[in-house]
Amino acid sequence: MLTHDDTRSEAGTAGLPLVSARELSKTFGGVQALKGVSIDIVPGEVHGLVGANGAGKSTLIRILAGLIVPDGGEIRVDGRPVSLPDPSAATALGMSFIHQELAFVPGMTVLENITLGIPKPSRFGMVDWKATEREIAPIAARVGITAPLSANVSGLSTAENWLVNICRALVRKARLIVMDEPTASLSADEVEKLFTIVEGLSASGVAVLYVSHRLDEILRLCDRVTVFRDGRSVAGFERTDLAHGRLVEAIVGGKVDRLESRHEQATIADVVLSVRGVASLPMVRDVSLDLHRGEVLGIGGLVGAGRSELARLIFGADRLDAGSMMLDGRPYAPRSPSAAVKAGVGLVPEERRTEALILTKSIAFNALLANLEKIVRSPLLPLIDGQKRKTLAEAIMRDLAVKTDSIDKAVGKLSGGNQQKVVIGRWLLKRPRVLILDEPTRGVDIGARAEIHRLIRKLADDGMAVIVISSDPDELPDLSDRVLVMAEGCVVRELRGEAISRTAIIEASYRAKEQSGKR
Amino acid sequence: MSDATFESRRLSPRTRLALGVFARYATIIGLVGMIAAFSVLSPRAFPTLNNFTNVLNQASLAVIISGGLTLAVIVGELDLSVGFAASLHGVLVTGLIVSNQIPVPVAILIVLLLGALVGYVNGLIVTRLKVNSVIATLGVGTILTGLAFAYASGVPIVAGVPESFLQISLGRWLFGIPNNILIMAVVLGSLWVLVERTSIGQEIQAVGGNPAAARLAGIDVARIKTLGFVISGVCAALTGVLLSSRLGSGTTNAADSYLMTAFAAVFLGSATLRDGEFHIVGTLIGALIIAFGFNGLNIFGAPTFSQYIFQGAILIVAVGLSSLGRIIAES
Repeated sequence: MLTHDDTRSEAGTAGLPLVSARELSKTFGGVQALKGVSIDIVPGEVHGLVGANGAGKSTLIRILAGLIVPDGGEIRVDGRPVSLPDPSAATALGMSFIHQELAFVPGMTVLENITLGIPKPSRFGMVDWKATEREIAPIAARVGITAPLSANVSGLSTAENWLVNICRALVRKARLIVMDEPTASLSADEVEKLFTIVEGLSASGVAVLYVSHRLDEILRLCDRVTVFRDGRSVAGFERTDLAHGRLVEAIVGGKVDRLESRHEQATIADVVLSVRGVASLPMVRDVSLDLHRGEVLGIGGLVGAGRSELARLIFGADRLDAGSMMLDGRPYAPRSPSAAVKAGVGLVPEERRTEALILTKSIAFNALLANLEKIVRSPLLPLIDGQKRKTLAEAIMRDLAVKTDSIDKAVGKLSGGNQQKVVIGRWLLKRPRVLILDEPTRGVDIGARAEIHRLIRKLADDGMAVIVISSDPDELPDLSDRVLVMAEGCVVRELRGEAISRTAIIEASYRAKEQSGKR
Repeated sequence: MSDATFESRRLSPRTRLALGVFARYATIIGLVGMIAAFSVLSPRAFPTLNNFTNVLNQASLAVIISGGLTLAVIVGELDLSVGFAASLHGVLVTGLIVSNQIPVPVAILIVLLLGALVGYVNGLIVTRLKVNSVIATLGVGTILTGLAFAYASGVPIVAGVPESFLQISLGRWLFGIPNNILIMAVVLGSLWVLVERTSIGQEIQAVGGNPAAARLAGIDVARIKTLGFVISGVCAALTGVLLSSRLGSGTTNAADSYLMTAFAAVFLGSATLRDGEFHIVGTLIGALIIAFGFNGLNIFGAPTFSQYIFQGAILIVAVGLSSLGRIIAES
């Protein structure tokens, strides 16, 4: 295992930049995504890149990866101007990219995935897998892959997938590894593992461009940070002058209000949803909870604790193996999501692009999808009333401050934060009795996150019963009246009022894990 | 990092725009170009009102069966049973009228309901048993062919077909326009309104666009998919009825070849005006291209084999244009 090298930042800043981008600009169909960004990445540094969604981070990454060509500006590698017309050019220059959605060939082994597309030693014209394995094994060990190289990638955890991807990058002699939101789907202990790897990479001279919304990670890990805002690089920080507040100010371009209101009285109000001993094996084993009118109930815990599965269970998307539920005092056993919606339950799913939105369809189409009865001329003649459709869709977009020029724009063209607002808007209009939001602010910028939080709070104040599932330990204390911590498919701790804190949630998630003594 | 982005990467914005326009309008340009070319080459026989009416009349059955198939493909499934179903229902309707002495309107109603039933069975097999729709509808279609042979023993039902039944296809009830064209217009218009202007249509499009998201938005995906198959089944049955009326007989296998025509029309349609999305207007244009193509080949006395080559080639071109459109849409 690699060790942390304290001299890395010194060595880094002194040297010639490995990759240097100057005044890059790029326009997509009239929208200027990059108005002039510059960034220097020196060998062996961990360089943080932060900015709101739509600030231009992904555009920069796509330019470096050779996926798109900038309209203006210059990129130098080792001081020499280069052009990056395609991904192979980026690979040849030693740049490697690891994305949120990891690309693997399912059914193939770890070794096959690592060596996919690169020349391998051969015997008699056939690939010599033994020799290949001998070559790869030391690198795999270096990044900490414990799974056998002959294991099928489908059986690996997300964290192990990351390791395989990093190994893949090193095998290709990467000198810069770009990581886009690496911890979005990792649990807390997997995040720790990733940090160790990143520090090790940096110590061995590999530069890492670390793109994340999670500022605590940026603060902890990065030697230098560049902040993008509205397509420009607006600030750069050295490690010594990094601070949470200054970063947030640079990202937002002003001060951010902290959410203050909290419902102390909420738990006295009526129980809307009552869940008793439900199970959906293997992920949900035994969960009981009461959800009250006007309450925001946070559900915390590690990834894999069964939280999303609990949400799917309440929403009728998965089958109930045991237990029962009551909604407004009546038995509630939805056989499908459509039955759950009819009964008055809504879900904002975890994966908005694959589970919530039809990306090629318009904003109005997506926002109104659960509200079609509101835009027809009459229930008997379900013809859509264009005027109603327009009025309603525009009202949602205005209420949620979705930034778009038209309600007929394809929803896939919006930024992550605006896409999420469209999904929430769908339920805002529907007004269900119970709304479950699964990771509502994942991959959403700080400004939109504050707006979404305000919105959730307002829904609860208006009497809706809300469940928020979040893996971000900072999110639940801001938002919740009460927090349930789940582990191994069970509720292990209930936190109320002042007891709700980031540390209490994390501690409860881990304590339970140790007690159950599994994994 | 999908393949689509890799494709688009090499294209300059101008090339992409040009390609996009080409992919969207290629079918319409093709249709207009073909009509213009035939008009120049055969100025007496081709560009006449009579010939155009004739082409539309010929195309009407293909348009109806393709319109139904469009619903099945919009919800994300394929229905390979349409041709076989049309054949069976053509035989059945003649049989009911001739052998069972059932009044013509009643017989037609029965057959349309049976068409709906076939679609419903297709839908159940696909949504409940989770059988891939290609396999499910191929199996059902083959069974239907078997039933048609069992019913008619493979012999066409010709004798005793009443004039009133023949008049459905031969008659001109309104402004001297052939009935089949009128029926086609009504069916296609209804389908267009259903898909584009109703809440059910929105659900149909949502299910086709992203079934997982549609389900989590509270849409009953299985019900909508089944509805797509039912509409496809009813349109196939109607095509069978009209074909029997036109031929004056119930013949097993008579409508089988509509399967190819319908698929070519639907895929040509998906490349028209929208980027690789199936829609009713597109299907109409697709069906017209095929109809005018056949008409032209006939006028120039092209041999039979060329018609097969034309149809096969146009299917491939259609699917190619359709996927080109999708690549551009995703970039």
